[in-house]
Amino acid sequence: MYKKNTTSIIGIIITILILILIVIFSNMKEENKSFLEGTMSKIVMPIQNGLTYLKNKLAGNDSFFENLDSIKQENEELKKKNSELEESLRELEIIKSENEVLKEYMKMTEKYAEYSTVPANVINKDTSNYSYTIVINVGSNNGIQSNMAVISENGLVGYVLSVTDTTAKVQTIIDPASSVSANISTTRDTIVCRGILENTNKIRATYIPTEANLVIGDSIETSGMGGIYPKGIHIGTITEIKNTKNPIDRYALVETAVDFSKLETVLVVTMQNT
Amino acid sequence: MKKIAVTICIFILFLILYFLQANFFTWFNIAGVKPNLFILLALTLGLFVGRGYATAMGCIMGLLLDIFIGRTLGVYSIMLGFMGYIGGQLEKKFSKDSKITIILMIGICTFLYEIGIYIINAAVLGIDLEIFAFLKINCIEIFYNIILTIILYPLIKRGGYYIQDIFRGNKILTRYF
Repeated sequence: MYKKNTTSIIGIIITILILILIVIFSNMKEENKSFLEGTMSKIVMPIQNGLTYLKNKLAGNDSFFENLDSIKQENEELKKKNSELEESLRELEIIKSENEVLKEYMKMTEKYAEYSTVPANVINKDTSNYSYTIVINVGSNNGIQSNMAVISENGLVGYVLSVTDTTAKVQTIIDPASSVSANISTTRDTIVCRGILENTNKIRATYIPTEANLVIGDSIETSGMGGIYPKGIHIGTITEIKNTKNPIDRYALVETAVDFSKLETVLVVTMQNT
Repeated sequence: MKKIAVTICIFILFLILYFLQANFFTWFNIAGVKPNLFILLALTLGLFVGRGYATAMGCIMGLLLDIFIGRTLGVYSIMLGFMGYIGGQLEKKFSKDSKITIILMIGICTFLYEIGIYIINAAVLGIDLEIFAFLKINCIEIFYNIILTIILYPLIKRGGYYIQDIFRGNKILTRYF
């Protein structure tokens, strides 16, 4: 009975592995395929060389192998050079990624020059499917306080819920508990944007004035009311308008400017420069 | 001494699960929905160790979650403690040797846990209830939890009986004889 169970488990595991391998191979990019070919040839080549050597020996034409020692030496030197080059390439890649992060910070700081900001990295995300808070790596030691607005290069991220000495918890605008007072950039009508469960890229614009003329593609920005978010920070664009029987209940879906699934660097607005 | 060591191991396991939830499962998800491994842990403790210990551990682990990422202090604590309590109660009525029973328990407990958290948060934070969206996410989460339970069942059983021996020793037999 035990043996039967073990065999069936092994069978399932092998089947899953084969399936995964088939999926990976069938979806593999060309460059990865050539890497695999290289690996395979590394395994096959010694055997093939040995067989060729034997064949040549038997046929009496083994002159090719006379220079084998010098070729081996040359090969060793080339390998050494190659590893040196690979190391410098790795260093360059590290510098490149650091440079990209710094550039992003610079771009953000320039864009929001009117605000005093503190740059931060996202170090943790929510574990739940029903709330969207993040943790950033700056805290009260860096001058961060509760209720400070958090922005990114593309637009509004949320606000600081609570702080420790070195970290801060941020409630994002896509969190269902979040509501942001906003303006439609073209008509200047004031609306309220709330996070929804259904979609993590969209928020719901509610309390739309009955006389307001909504257009898909309209930009939404913070109104500055409420005391948390400074005025004029881009939130997103209207992608869908849902009209209801009662015009008071109509709402629009706003696609957030920030891609929260890829959010890594943010700025905490500590104060507005005058 | 062994009990303390096991408790420390459970906390380490909790931290590992936390990092899995916060990192790995943010991209290894089903339609954007993550599983909830904390329910599995609290329920396992209830089933194998007992109601009191599981409730206490659930409350402490929940409190840590509240501190790490929660918005209202105590919500995760109450619900994870409740999961531990339910695990302890279910242990008296059902056999933990049946995979189907464990799967059903996980499914039902996931539903209860998430509905509890959602309702408390909605009441405290004034969130608009989105019943359809909530049920959709919850169904996927239940499915994901069940899949993980099927995969992890041999581990749960082995680990569970190991800690049961440490915490209960020969007390278990007295229940049956």
